[in-house]
Amino acid sequence: MNCELAHERIVLAAYGELPDEQAHELDRHLAACPECSREREQLLALKTLSMAYPVIEPDPNFVTRSRIRLEEELDALPPKSWYERFGQRILNNFSNLQAAPVAALLLLIVGAGAGTLGGYEFAQARAAHAAGRASAVPIAKADPGPVVPAPSAEVANISSIVRQPNSEIVDVTYNQVVPQHIEGSLDDPAIRQLLMLASANASSQGVRDDSVGLLAAECRAGHACQGAGIRDALMVALRYDKSEAVREKALQGLQPYVAEDMRVRDAVLEALLNDRDPRIRAAAISELEPVQADTGVRRVLSTVANSDNNPHIRTVSRQVLSRAPVFQ
Amino acid sequence: MDGPDRAAERLQARAPEMELIREAQAGSRAAFDALVRQYEQQVLRLALHLTGSEHDAEDIYQEAFLKAFRYIGNFRFECSFYTWIYRIVTNLCLDQLRRRKTRREDQAVVLDHSGDEIDILSSVSDNRSFSNPAKELDRKVLGERIQAALSKLTPRERMVFELKHYQGLRLRTIGEMLNTTEETAKNTLFRATKKLRTQLAGLR
Repeated sequence: MNCELAHERIVLAAYGELPDEQAHELDRHLAACPECSREREQLLALKTLSMAYPVIEPDPNFVTRSRIRLEEELDALPPKSWYERFGQRILNNFSNLQAAPVAALLLLIVGAGAGTLGGYEFAQARAAHAAGRASAVPIAKADPGPVVPAPSAEVANISSIVRQPNSEIVDVTYNQVVPQHIEGSLDDPAIRQLLMLASANASSQGVRDDSVGLLAAECRAGHACQGAGIRDALMVALRYDKSEAVREKALQGLQPYVAEDMRVRDAVLEALLNDRDPRIRAAAISELEPVQADTGVRRVLSTVANSDNNPHIRTVSRQVLSRAPVFQ
Repeated sequence: MDGPDRAAERLQARAPEMELIREAQAGSRAAFDALVRQYEQQVLRLALHLTGSEHDAEDIYQEAFLKAFRYIGNFRFECSFYTWIYRIVTNLCLDQLRRRKTRREDQAVVLDHSGDEIDILSSVSDNRSFSNPAKELDRKVLGERIQAALSKLTPRERMVFELKHYQGLRLRTIGEMLNTTEETAKNTLFRATKKLRTQLAGLR
């Protein structure tokens, strides 16, 4: 081994990146080469000196402050339109079909078809637009004032701006969000669908709270809560929602299904292990008590009894464990 | 029989990051916020040590997670999400380092949010320093010399040294994050250590 190679291997060894067989070879070289041996000492000295500028853990207030600012900026972003979300979902689903040539071919056909249709509609629109311009009636775009979007509709985004050559006329294509209102019973599938969307996506905690509360009440009352993803929506809210109040309602809504649905039971166990609010962890324990004979439940309760950082949670877990019969 | 923690581990595995990512890609803000919480500490730790400034670190944090939010739909699970996020963060850090090089700033001390100097060595527990103020001052001066030497590296050398020496990442991972090969990351590390040893030779 020459010294230049040895110098590189000294660096790799110092950072734990040298394979064992090369490390042995390096040791033999260093034993016989004082210059390389000094090189290693200097590198180790550098590592020691570098500790004078240590990595510090960010202060919790700094982390919180940064997170709050980020949340404000995210709240201020316009929501993605339905077709952007739909398009993204299509892309994500088909990105997993790299080994499925037939499906990929279908995608190509569908895409070509959509493109053809889109092109046809575009051509129709252009023809209508050209016909409109050719008419003697002055069109709205010629007016000094812009065409005002419908008063009840918000502009979601602008998809294109084209200035006509040698002209003051500008073509603007925009998409509108039209607020809608719907009224119906909680059994109405459309109402349920909107409540489930709101439980995961509403930026206002109050709206999420209301939607999760209504869905949870439906489940607790024993109304149809099986298909249609209502339980899934409650489990997502229990797992991810930022608000303790929303997570608590989701947990209450899932209570009737802890015994019969293993996914719900796992979601409640996860809340017991991971939720940062001790009230939610305590509520999870009481919901799991009827199924404490499940060995998986007992193991989690045992973990929590030993390691939860809240003394009340540890005590309650032990009490539940002590009341249950032990199965071999 | 299973060990006592297997049930808990199974549960942790049942809520993998992949589900969070898919839900975030589907538009769930709650899922994205959960992802932020998983990585925010590491991102801030890296940006703070690299820039020496809470203000700059916070800016990098904001830009990184806003970019992640905007482009999470493009994440195709070809690498880990950890690598993907760090790729965004390291690129922003490199931009910051390049801007500093252009402005010829030498950040010799760590600044907090209001611009006041943080005595980083005061956060390092060391009983000896309480009884020996002179030694504490020596360490402070030494820390400043280290930062000055680090600022003499090129942005990529600084980044590779930071990720390897201070953050403890594997060279292969560093290569992935910087969109290069492990071999290139290795050579960059060699150059960085050589330059630093030259800079700090007089301190021995």
